[in-house]
Amino acid sequence: MSCANVMKRDRTAVINPLVTCQPMGAMYAVAGIRRGLPLVHGSQGCSTFVRYSFSRHFREPSEIAVTSLHEDAAVFGGRKNLISGIGNLAVRFKPSVIGAISTCSSEIIGDDMEGFIKIAREDLKKKMGEKEAEKIKIVPISTPSFVENHFRGYDNAIKALVTNLAQDPGDATEKINIIPGMVNPGDIREIKHIMSLMGVEGIVLTDISDPFDSPLRPSATETRPFYPKGGTTVEEIADSSNSLGTISLCGYAGSGALSLEKKYDVPAAVGPIPIGVQNTDQFLRNLKKFTDLEIPDSLLDERGLLIDSMADLASRYLFGRKVAIFGDPAISAGIARFVCELGMIPSVVCTGVENLEFVSEMEKVAKESDEPVDVMIGSDLRALEVRLEEDPVELMIGHSDGRLFAKHLDIPLVRVGYPVYDRAGYHRVPIVGYNGSVNLIDRITNTVFDKYYDKEHWKLQQ
Amino acid sequence: MPYELFEVDKEIPDRKKHTYVKDSADPTDEIPKCNTTTIPGCMTERGCAFAGVKGVITGAVKDVIHVVHSPVGCTTYGCGSKRYPTSPDLPNGDKVPIDQFNLKYIMGTDLKESDVVFGGMKKLRQSVLEAAKEFPFVNAIYTYATCTTGLIGDDMDAVAKELSEEIGKDVIAFNAPGFSGPTQSKGHHVGNLTLFNKLVGTKEPPETTPYDINLIGEYNIDGDLWVLEKYFDEIGINLLSKFTGDCSHDEICWMHRAKLSLVRCQRSATYIADLIEEKYGIPYIKVDFFGPRYCAENLMTVAKHFGLEEKAEKLIQQEMAEIQPKLDFYKEKLQGKKVWVFSGGPKNWHLPEPLKEHLGMETVAVSTMFEHEDGYEKIKERVGEGTVILDDPNSLELEEIIEVYKPDIILSGIKEKYIAHKFGVPCVLIHSYENGPYIGFEGFLNLAQDIYASIYSPVWNMLEFEETIEDKEELKVEIEEISQETEINAPKTEPQEEVL
Repeated sequence: MSCANVMKRDRTAVINPLVTCQPMGAMYAVAGIRRGLPLVHGSQGCSTFVRYSFSRHFREPSEIAVTSLHEDAAVFGGRKNLISGIGNLAVRFKPSVIGAISTCSSEIIGDDMEGFIKIAREDLKKKMGEKEAEKIKIVPISTPSFVENHFRGYDNAIKALVTNLAQDPGDATEKINIIPGMVNPGDIREIKHIMSLMGVEGIVLTDISDPFDSPLRPSATETRPFYPKGGTTVEEIADSSNSLGTISLCGYAGSGALSLEKKYDVPAAVGPIPIGVQNTDQFLRNLKKFTDLEIPDSLLDERGLLIDSMADLASRYLFGRKVAIFGDPAISAGIARFVCELGMIPSVVCTGVENLEFVSEMEKVAKESDEPVDVMIGSDLRALEVRLEEDPVELMIGHSDGRLFAKHLDIPLVRVGYPVYDRAGYHRVPIVGYNGSVNLIDRITNTVFDKYYDKEHWKLQQ
Repeated sequence: MPYELFEVDKEIPDRKKHTYVKDSADPTDEIPKCNTTTIPGCMTERGCAFAGVKGVITGAVKDVIHVVHSPVGCTTYGCGSKRYPTSPDLPNGDKVPIDQFNLKYIMGTDLKESDVVFGGMKKLRQSVLEAAKEFPFVNAIYTYATCTTGLIGDDMDAVAKELSEEIGKDVIAFNAPGFSGPTQSKGHHVGNLTLFNKLVGTKEPPETTPYDINLIGEYNIDGDLWVLEKYFDEIGINLLSKFTGDCSHDEICWMHRAKLSLVRCQRSATYIADLIEEKYGIPYIKVDFFGPRYCAENLMTVAKHFGLEEKAEKLIQQEMAEIQPKLDFYKEKLQGKKVWVFSGGPKNWHLPEPLKEHLGMETVAVSTMFEHEDGYEKIKERVGEGTVILDDPNSLELEEIIEVYKPDIILSGIKEKYIAHKFGVPCVLIHSYENGPYIGFEGFLNLAQDIYASIYSPVWNMLEFEETIEDKEELKVEIEEISQETEINAPKTEPQEEVL
């Protein structure tokens, strides 16, 4: 049993942030809706940088519209831009949902987005006819860039979507709502796989798995406008109030679940992300609690495969090795717990957030660690670098933005989460669930082989 | 009618003025409407002014630290996004102690709600001081306004001036908040003006030669500048200052000492060449090094200016002899292939002629994100009849171009690459390249190789499942040939089980 040393950034400036601003999280959330389009009410950089970031991570198209705010909007407000933006997007793209996402600019200017959206709705009815206009849902999402970070933006967006689109309960269903958090397509598919083995139908709020990993099949592609396959339908979101429960996989993404609980009595479970044995066990217990279904043998076998790989690999190659984990707070905390299960030591866990739920999750993890855990909150990659220069570790686990830091520190980097743009396929391969944890242990072990067994390669002979 | 309204644009008829189809019979001033604000919600590919200054102009400088005065997002997006490699060498013989320093680090003031209310100047001041402490070896600190700080009205110049004195290093404020101007082009302009006004003429180079030039508007994308530097070295021309590829802060300060300026990217950097000419009387030449013929001609022009034609001639012959056989191979393979060039600006007029002359490719469509009138005039001059020229295309137009003009390949950016793929069209990245450099003689071969590899990748022949393969005559012949060679029976049309 050990303790968590919680440390805040000791600078005013941020150097190589581990977070970005709120709107990006909202764009991610809206992208997971079938024919859902984010419309960013801000400058063109606000959409373009994010499209660039999504495209280089997922290697997929990313359609995000923008209201193109300029000097005139700074003086007179962005009313005209938002109303015409909604109108143009609606008639040309016929989306199911427009997520109207605020930014620093629109929030500072003080645009009344809800009011403008009402006017835009009336305009649309005139332009398209009432029936067609009704089909397009417009959801205002407030994501001021100067408050917290993109994880909050994601949470705000999911809450806004649920609040605006979930309908008053009708007939209860046997479904479970899943709020996945900002995980990869492979992760969402793994969660669906687990649920299908359990025999549970799910509503994923929202499901980026197909939109951000879609097949190249010109004959089966929806064009003019192009929409990727998949995503959660508006009907599914509407139906989420009838589900047996909501599980939010990530600690930072609980607001939508709590709102469904408060408003519609759909019970909520928030986190931890099912990475590693105990967290995945917890996820299954949550599923069981909400559905009363037994956990099938097939899933217990998958658990057994994970345990088998841990028994085979952990003590011989991983035990006692020190690890630094950085990036996404939920994924980092999940991996920290998993490396403890492997007998490794999560010496440093560094994130850009200051969320209390992250800190309390890390305090729990620290108790399972053999040595103290430095928990860096509101922190950045430079602070992590300085910490690791003073007291190195054997392995870093985090996203591609840490690649040059790892290279210069000469510490191998196991890539996980978002963004990973300097390796192939990481968005497809899950790290959640028992199967995902097997992938993770393989990834960690192979990295250890590459780095620490290169000289004495004969040690890898049986 | 030279202007065409795309079918997908019928609801936004203003787009017609931005869509011109080349017809030589038109009066010359007929070009697409450009450099105007985008129609909201039309799914533009454009970026913001901050991206224009930090992303394009200053991000390549190797020995400065950038402090973005913003909420965290702009800082995150401002880091290492463009492929601008640097060498550690500084003009005074020192070395930047951290490899690819310009790609590795970015700082930001991390503005919060209270800063929006009470102003962010204190945080900016503190952050610049921290920057100086954290990276003591930097030769300057560049700070950037963003939408937030533009709107709350922080006086960044005042902070920069005060801290320059306090720290004893140049602290520069770039006032190009994201919302300013219709595109990132506004940021290029602000970058040029700021660097000229604050820096040029403030320092003297350690030594000068009669062959000193400024290479302006060359940012070393994927090593482009190093290719050109090698040519100039061989000819005997010295790059006194680069603006800004692989450049040091001091080089910008002594741009007034060159004998000649060359302007490579004429959209983003003609401004500073003009200003230097006006104030210091240094002439400039607009140059074009994309494609072997342009490269040869322009190297000769520059060499002539210094009386170094013989050396240039020798270099050109050498380089051409080396690439010609490979060029012939690619031309044979790419002859008649149709291409759509969608760049930020100038590559639209750099590329169509070399693609045609050296590779036999036909440019059916060109489009830019932020080109101005002068650029569109050059584009119009250099593309063939019937080529569609689009200003600021949106993603629905992208679909229509693919459908109507049927390009075999698209040269564009990463935002367009993967959507092109979904339509079965290969795409080569032209902003930051696939496997560059793309400039100069050998660079053009790299581009040809990437185009060739993209078009001829076997994947494009397997896009759809086919029930039977009888109809594929070619395939049948090939299979027969193979089976004759290997003396085995022709494979059945059904998939065969692997025999273990």
